[in-house]
Amino acid sequence: MKIPRIENIGFMGIILAIILIFFYMILGASGMIAILGIVLFFAVPFYLMLNNFELEQDEKLILSFLIGVGLFPSLVYWLGIFISFKASIFITFAIYVILAYTFPKFLRKNHLKSD
Amino acid sequence: MKISKGHLKAATFVAVYLLALYLWTLPFQDNNIPYGEFDAISHWELGDFIAESDHTFVKLPAFLDVSYGGNNYFRPHTLWYPPPYHTDFAIISAFSPGRIVPIYLTNAVFASFILISVFFVINRLFGFMPAILSSFMLTFSLRDIMPYLWGQWVERFAYAFIPVILYCFYMYFITYSKEDNKPLYLYIMAILLAINLLIHPLVFFHSIVGLFVLGIFLAIKQRKIPFNIKQIGISLILFLVLLAIFPYQTGNVILTFTKPSSEEQKYSPLSRLLQWSLNPEDYAGSVPASYFSFKEMHGLWTLPFLLLGILVLVVRRENRDIFLLTWLISLYLIMHRDLIGKFTFLHRSLSATAHIFIPITVIGALSIASFIKMPKIYQNFAKYGLAALVVALTLIYNMPQAYSTLNNAYDSPLARLNQGQIDVSEWIKSNVPENTNVSIIGPPPQIMQKVWWMASFSHRVSHYFEGFLTWKTYEENRNETIKYHLLNDYIVVDYSDIALLSDRSFVNTWQEFEKANLANHTLLYNKDNIRVYKYENS
Repeated sequence: MKIPRIENIGFMGIILAIILIFFYMILGASGMIAILGIVLFFAVPFYLMLNNFELEQDEKLILSFLIGVGLFPSLVYWLGIFISFKASIFITFAIYVILAYTFPKFLRKNHLKSD
Repeated sequence: MKISKGHLKAATFVAVYLLALYLWTLPFQDNNIPYGEFDAISHWELGDFIAESDHTFVKLPAFLDVSYGGNNYFRPHTLWYPPPYHTDFAIISAFSPGRIVPIYLTNAVFASFILISVFFVINRLFGFMPAILSSFMLTFSLRDIMPYLWGQWVERFAYAFIPVILYCFYMYFITYSKEDNKPLYLYIMAILLAINLLIHPLVFFHSIVGLFVLGIFLAIKQRKIPFNIKQIGISLILFLVLLAIFPYQTGNVILTFTKPSSEEQKYSPLSRLLQWSLNPEDYAGSVPASYFSFKEMHGLWTLPFLLLGILVLVVRRENRDIFLLTWLISLYLIMHRDLIGKFTFLHRSLSATAHIFIPITVIGALSIASFIKMPKIYQNFAKYGLAALVVALTLIYNMPQAYSTLNNAYDSPLARLNQGQIDVSEWIKSNVPENTNVSIIGPPPQIMQKVWWMASFSHRVSHYFEGFLTWKTYEENRNETIKYHLLNDYIVVDYSDIALLSDRSFVNTWQEFEKANLANHTLLYNKDNIRVYKYENS
């Protein structure tokens, strides 16, 4: 299974670390963890999905977040009716990350993406 | 790792955005007590309840149903907003410790996301300098800050979608040809449109009008109309599938939009067409007059640059200029929708003006450098000088009021719950059964939000508190109300704000009520001048 390369991952890591430190300083651990959650749940899975397409990195960053804030909670909401809400958050995250890696396989199989 | 120009630009933008978030989180950096008007209460309590109860729901819990049970016209007693937005709050609140900071911080990120959207689009179309200046100016936009503080949370975030939706459509349109095209932009546009509708239907309306106007102007300029039935079909399917995920709320949107308005147009069409903004007198008591003032919200210094920017865009008319002009035109159309009988939330659309005014203002300011014939190197210096001028003017004229508004937001002890009210709310949440009515008597009508905050903090219904606060309500059947509707109720008598009130006439009334009606009933809680009684049926 080919994992798409994420551009500038080192630089993004540094920026994220600065952002987390910043929020720790102004809002404490609660703020820092909240920001981590915002990035992790709303952006990461969908960035990985969009990384399979011919988009610029800034497009991927902003589009992944705006798609994520709609699609991520939609699945969490419906799962949360039947099971623990907290559990449904992590299950949803796993589902979307798995989709992000199986999606290119689907695209290639249907001749929708070139290697 | 080699530092490139791109890295420096990204770092600069991050610095500007962190500055914005530092300012926009001032109201809760040192004060972890929730704040805001009634809208804020509803948004906070939805996210908080889901996180605290560890489950979502289709049918509203009792304490929400009492206030919002009728708001979904399609399926009463269900959520009146589509779930994603408030579930986002709940996700972060469940993941991060605390009930206040996670939700308020998520809201701050969402409400300020327009800075990111505008930066992204303007950077793509016009370059880094106009983009970073636009974001910087938006940081101090009172048209955004004021509704953010009041509690129009959902709408603030929904506006961040508009420029990106328009961008996706723009990219699809200008790159389209029968032989070569990029349908991905169209599909993403469809997904974002659906999410935009799920976030806030009014702003979806903004997006649709924007797309319509942009499409027409691009069709005229480019002399083509992208039409690929397969791509349009896939986009439509994506859009409809996403809306079908929440049928009750989608049904509510359709019913609400098609409901005839009871309002009537009181201004002549011509006077409305010649007016950009609205009349503050029509919103007296609910929205401050300053909100409708260009001078107070944007600063008069921006006006010449804004007009110059519009002139530059109209004269130049490149594709990217058409993008901004049509966004401006669509906003004008939306703000005059009362002419076709759509009055609901008309003033709310005004809060979208800074998002388009500011980029055009910046373009106008920076364009001055190109009017004077000089060597390119001097033109670049002039451009940087103009950028510095924009920054300086923003800091002088816009920053002080924005900082003061945020720093002093709801800082009166009468504007937020005190610790005693939080403690009793937590006690009620832990000790009073769910679906039980808790009536709160104490805070006078001027600070009624406190009662709603206590009800939402405790997740317990507060059904008849209004009747007892404003004594004229239920006056003719007060005895029956006491006898029949307080049975099985818990009653909170809250004297904790008395020391802060100059009018103590309420106190005597409450003390007489307490003595006459509650003395023989079980006192369960007595702390910080707040008492909780279990009303026993005798």
